[in-house]
Amino acid sequence: MFTSSSAVTDHAPHRERPYWHPYAAGIGLGLVLLLAFVIMGRGLGASGAFSSLVTTVVHAVAPAHAQNNAFYQEYLGDGTKSPLHDWLVFEVIGVFAGGFLSGALAGRLRTTIEKGPRISNGGRLTLAFLGGFIMGVGAKLARGCTSGQALTGGALLSVGSWAFMLCVFAGAYAAAYFVRREWI
Amino acid sequence: MKNPLTNLNWKRRIALLALALGVIALFAGNPYRGGCVSLDTKELALMVQNERDHVSVEQLADWIIQGRTDFRLLDCRSEKEFNDYHIPTAESVPLAALNDYPVQRNERIILYSEGGIHASQAWFLLAALGYKHVYLLTGGLDEWRDKILFPAIPANTSAEQQAQFAKMKEVSRYFGGTPQSGAASDQAAVKKETPKMPVPSGSAPSVPSGSKKKKEGC
Amino acid sequence: MSAPFYKYGLFGDEISLVIAFLIGIGFGFFLERAGFGNARKLAAQFYFYDMTVFKVMFSAIVTAMIGLYYLSVLGFVDLSLVYVSPTFLLPQVVGGLILGVGFAVGGYCPGTSAVAAATGRLDGVVCLFGIVAGIFFFGEVFPAIETFYRATPMGSVTLPQLLGISYGLILFLVVLMALGGFLLAGWAEKKFAHLRPE
Repeated sequence: MFTSSSAVTDHAPHRERPYWHPYAAGIGLGLVLLLAFVIMGRGLGASGAFSSLVTTVVHAVAPAHAQNNAFYQEYLGDGTKSPLHDWLVFEVIGVFAGGFLSGALAGRLRTTIEKGPRISNGGRLTLAFLGGFIMGVGAKLARGCTSGQALTGGALLSVGSWAFMLCVFAGAYAAAYFVRREWI
Repeated sequence: MKNPLTNLNWKRRIALLALALGVIALFAGNPYRGGCVSLDTKELALMVQNERDHVSVEQLADWIIQGRTDFRLLDCRSEKEFNDYHIPTAESVPLAALNDYPVQRNERIILYSEGGIHASQAWFLLAALGYKHVYLLTGGLDEWRDKILFPAIPANTSAEQQAQFAKMKEVSRYFGGTPQSGAASDQAAVKKETPKMPVPSGSAPSVPSGSKKKKEGC
Repeated sequence: MSAPFYKYGLFGDEISLVIAFLIGIGFGFFLERAGFGNARKLAAQFYFYDMTVFKVMFSAIVTAMIGLYYLSVLGFVDLSLVYVSPTFLLPQVVGGLILGVGFAVGGYCPGTSAVAAATGRLDGVVCLFGIVAGIFFFGEVFPAIETFYRATPMGSVTLPQLLGISYGLILFLVVLMALGGFLLAGWAEKKFAHLRPE
């Protein structure tokens, strides 16, 4: 049903344009981050928006439970407005839009499953969910993910962010050996 | 002599630029303002002259009674003086703490002290830091005591003035004061007792509920 | 002289949400341009044959860091008004390790999974569901781990502040480290090119 892509080619058949050079994309990303600093006095992020989403759903289903839980309560605030009425939520919606825009312009929109040659679709999707679950926990413990902590905090020279960034690489390299059948 | 820089591709040029900027940074200094500001003295002088920066005690009393939360009231005296008595809804911000006190630059700030000297100095500090909506309480706490807590009216006055005073009496009682009336000699006899402040519970001073604790994390 | 604009009251909360959306578009756009909507390219980082993640991340960090530093030194930006999230060393170290594991297993990070989902990758969508589930799990067990979550608070501390070294020196060292890293990355890509699946 779904085509899957298992070769890491930088330009696929038909009209897929090649990716940008890493340094060019990185400088572009850095300038966007700089814009956020200059305009808003804050940086980027991603996981926080999903926390707001989770809080909104939990609060809708079980409001008392949400209010009694210190984690959800932080996102509920004083209850005057929805947790979704939040800078990060709008930013992440923009991320979806921007990603789609870039993909559309480059002819890289494809319903597919990205995986290595030695794993099945089902296996890949299972690991995708599992990996996401683990990341959800890790991101909340660290108060952010690679966008917010590593990228933003890194540029701001925050101690915790740099420690976080080193640990992300360490953890990923360590785990890479065990999931090599998923990718290579 | 060919310029060696022309031999480099764009990646190397950018790397060189980054390196150069890094080296310059070694000598460029501290990026934090460290409290050094530049002032437009003319603009500041004009603001003072136009008296757009004053709020009367009656106005403030009104706003507090109405329960308005669109301003921050800052008390520039010491903490001890603050604990003895302060205008309700005020926050204690001694001058030294003013520089780092968390107030947004677009919030309305009203400053007061005993008479107004410290408040004026604080006003100047905040104006220099770029705050645009800073106001002084005319007459400071002295005036607050005179006009709000212990409003006085001489014995023979017109009916209209009596009516106005009746309103002041209510305001005074709202804040726990003691309105004075009758002959001057009687007034001197009545003790002006400053209302006792409720013992601070240890938690932060009442910040207006409108102030959003903005989430800026990721 | 008066940046960050939002903190100087140039515009209100409603406009800031529009700005959030626009900045997000820029963010997502460049992530996809770099190829981060593709899990294979992201995971390749951890087998050394494609070091794009490292190159993009650090060129972005260096760009923003240098830009912010010079704008501050020139007096255009008030650096003290830029929000630095507080450091909680132990949970951030542990959280980082955990996130790293999840990254290698899942193939995306939260931001890039959004980009992947937006460009049609089903594994990106599934990863997003996983992230949401993980956050929900975290919220539910939060009372049990709250003490650990709040351990080792250090406030909003930066490397210059912690090490007692000037900001400019740290900046210089970071630039050196990044440039050196880029050289090493190029070398590693050649050395491990045989791991690339074809």
